Amino acid sequence: MNNWLTRDNLIRWAPLLVLLALICLFALIEPRFFSVRNAARIAIASTPALMVAIGVTFIIIMGSIDLSMEGTVSVCAVIFAFAFIALGGTLASFAWLALPLALLVGAAVGLLNGLIHVRFKIPSFMCSLAIGFVGTGFALLLTGGDRVRVEDELFRSLLTIRFLNFPIMVYVALACLVLAWFIQSHTKLGRNFYAIGGGEELATSSGLNVGRVRALAFMLAGMFYAIGALLAVGRIGIAETATGNNFMFVSITAVVVGGTALWGGIGGVWNTLVGVLIVNVINNGMVVIGLPNFVQDAVLGILVITAVVLSTNRKTVAFVK
Amino acid sequence: MSMERIKPHFPWITLIVLGTLVGIANPSFFNPAGLVSLTADVVPLFIMALGMTFAIYIGGIDLSVQQLANMVTVIATVYLAQFGIAVAVICIAAGFLIGAISGYATTRLYVPSFVSTLAMGFVALSVAKYLSGQRALYMDAELRNASFGWMFDNTAGVPHELIIAAVLLLLAWFLQTRTSFGRSLKAVGAGELAAVASGLNVNRIKILAFAISGGFAGIAGLIFSVKLSGGDANLANGFLLLAIVAVLVGGTPLTGGVGGVLNTAIGTLIVMVIRAAMVYLEVAATQQQMIFGIILIIAIGLTIDRTKLRIVK
Repeated sequence: MNNWLTRDNLIRWAPLLVLLALICLFALIEPRFFSVRNAARIAIASTPALMVAIGVTFIIIMGSIDLSMEGTVSVCAVIFAFAFIALGGTLASFAWLALPLALLVGAAVGLLNGLIHVRFKIPSFMCSLAIGFVGTGFALLLTGGDRVRVEDELFRSLLTIRFLNFPIMVYVALACLVLAWFIQSHTKLGRNFYAIGGGEELATSSGLNVGRVRALAFMLAGMFYAIGALLAVGRIGIAETATGNNFMFVSITAVVVGGTALWGGIGGVWNTLVGVLIVNVINNGMVVIGLPNFVQDAVLGILVITAVVLSTNRKTVAFVK
Repeated sequence: MSMERIKPHFPWITLIVLGTLVGIANPSFFNPAGLVSLTADVVPLFIMALGMTFAIYIGGIDLSVQQLANMVTVIATVYLAQFGIAVAVICIAAGFLIGAISGYATTRLYVPSFVSTLAMGFVALSVAKYLSGQRALYMDAELRNASFGWMFDNTAGVPHELIIAAVLLLLAWFLQTRTSFGRSLKAVGAGELAAVASGLNVNRIKILAFAISGGFAGIAGLIFSVKLSGGDANLANGFLLLAIVAVLVGGTPLTGGVGGVLNTAIGTLIVMVIRAAMVYLEVAATQQQMIFGIILIIAIGLTIDRTKLRIVK
């Protein structure tokens, strides 16, 4: 009778329930929150963060962590903008080549990150943090602190052209989400992430080349950061060193709040979608009901600690560093 | 002589070699007055790194120090008029408290320290934004000089900042080597499970380590605030990377257990020399972050104790 109310089920569905409860709460306090216009606003704010969060989801599923997203996003955005302008400045010309270039840059940064982590046996959180600093520094070096404007109408149509009230970038993000789900659930690589997260020693003794999978995971994550960078540039029309700001905390909060455990092995990209929506509903809702915006940082900080606490099975964890 | 025996001596050898190279390229580097003022400039960074050493020594990390210092610059500026010099107590207590909460989350709630400190850093950011009204604040010059003017005086040519740094270093060194708390820190850093098994109250030690890290970040923020005569929720940005670099190039590995506060003093001096070299070589300020990021990766790679990491996550 009580079989469905297990710890597992609770953890699986709690994020979605929290999201629904938050939406109801904000809608009750301020009915304007519950409108298509506002939903579109939340969706637009969520899309770049969703891409970045999906990237880091793969890493967290393995039980590792990637803190390089701020630097990677900035580098991808800046290189994309420079290439885009140099190649003609509009999608109708050869400038479309800047899109795959950005993905390649993201993949390269991610691969570098993964290789340093695996080859030199440096814990991923520190290795990726350092790579993030290098990335931000590199973006600063390229721009010299300037902003690069991308004003091509065709590229900006990501934001400006709407279909069923939502701009195209939302559909692009959804397509990438489905792609990420496919990678996670229906490819060998995706299943290997879970194998490593579930028990690395078991995965190694089953003959899995763990180092290779790790490096590929970081590369894949880098490509999703690049997509996030493209959407972020499409959204505001500017690429700069600060393009990557805040992505680290928001994306990790989203992944953890969505129910993907930091210890790895459980969760996935759908959890991340719920997590990103929770974060953005909180951000948006607090503004809509009139709370000052400095409260958001503290709320998210407490939220992420709470989420980690709730998703930790204390019987299996001996100690943490 | 084996590699393992030379390794502990790497930091100070690096410092001397780097210092000599910079000195040969630019003899004015050895000008005593210039050297003293260069050293005085890194005092806030040194104090922050000193605190961070405790967190890294037990195998953790404290990513909140920069935000804590930001918060303290605002607290110091806002409450200076009301409390005078006693504002220092509030600043240190605020850092200590937030550090202790991070430590509590790490030990009792099993939240890894990089997440708990990152999260508490954002709580501190909120406090800073709230108290400052999201504006840059300035200290009243007279009040500042009345309460903290002594910090920037000299005694026999030695800036008081350096004396503060030396006193804090001595205090930290005493804590680390001459108290049972310090010995327990080493036990936790060298092998946490063994420390638990030998009956140490590991949770309390770890919470205290993070609290000390926060407290030192508070002192660093206070000095920084007085130095720049103001407070802002972004004032200390850029310190986190340098503080971690200072600890790691000093020879305290991410895995903890060896190294310590004296190493961090050497590490901070190395950072100072590298900075001086970059100024001399006319490396643009925009490139420095990238270079320090690369130095960080190299330092981690050279110092980390891989025998402790059965699985590298």
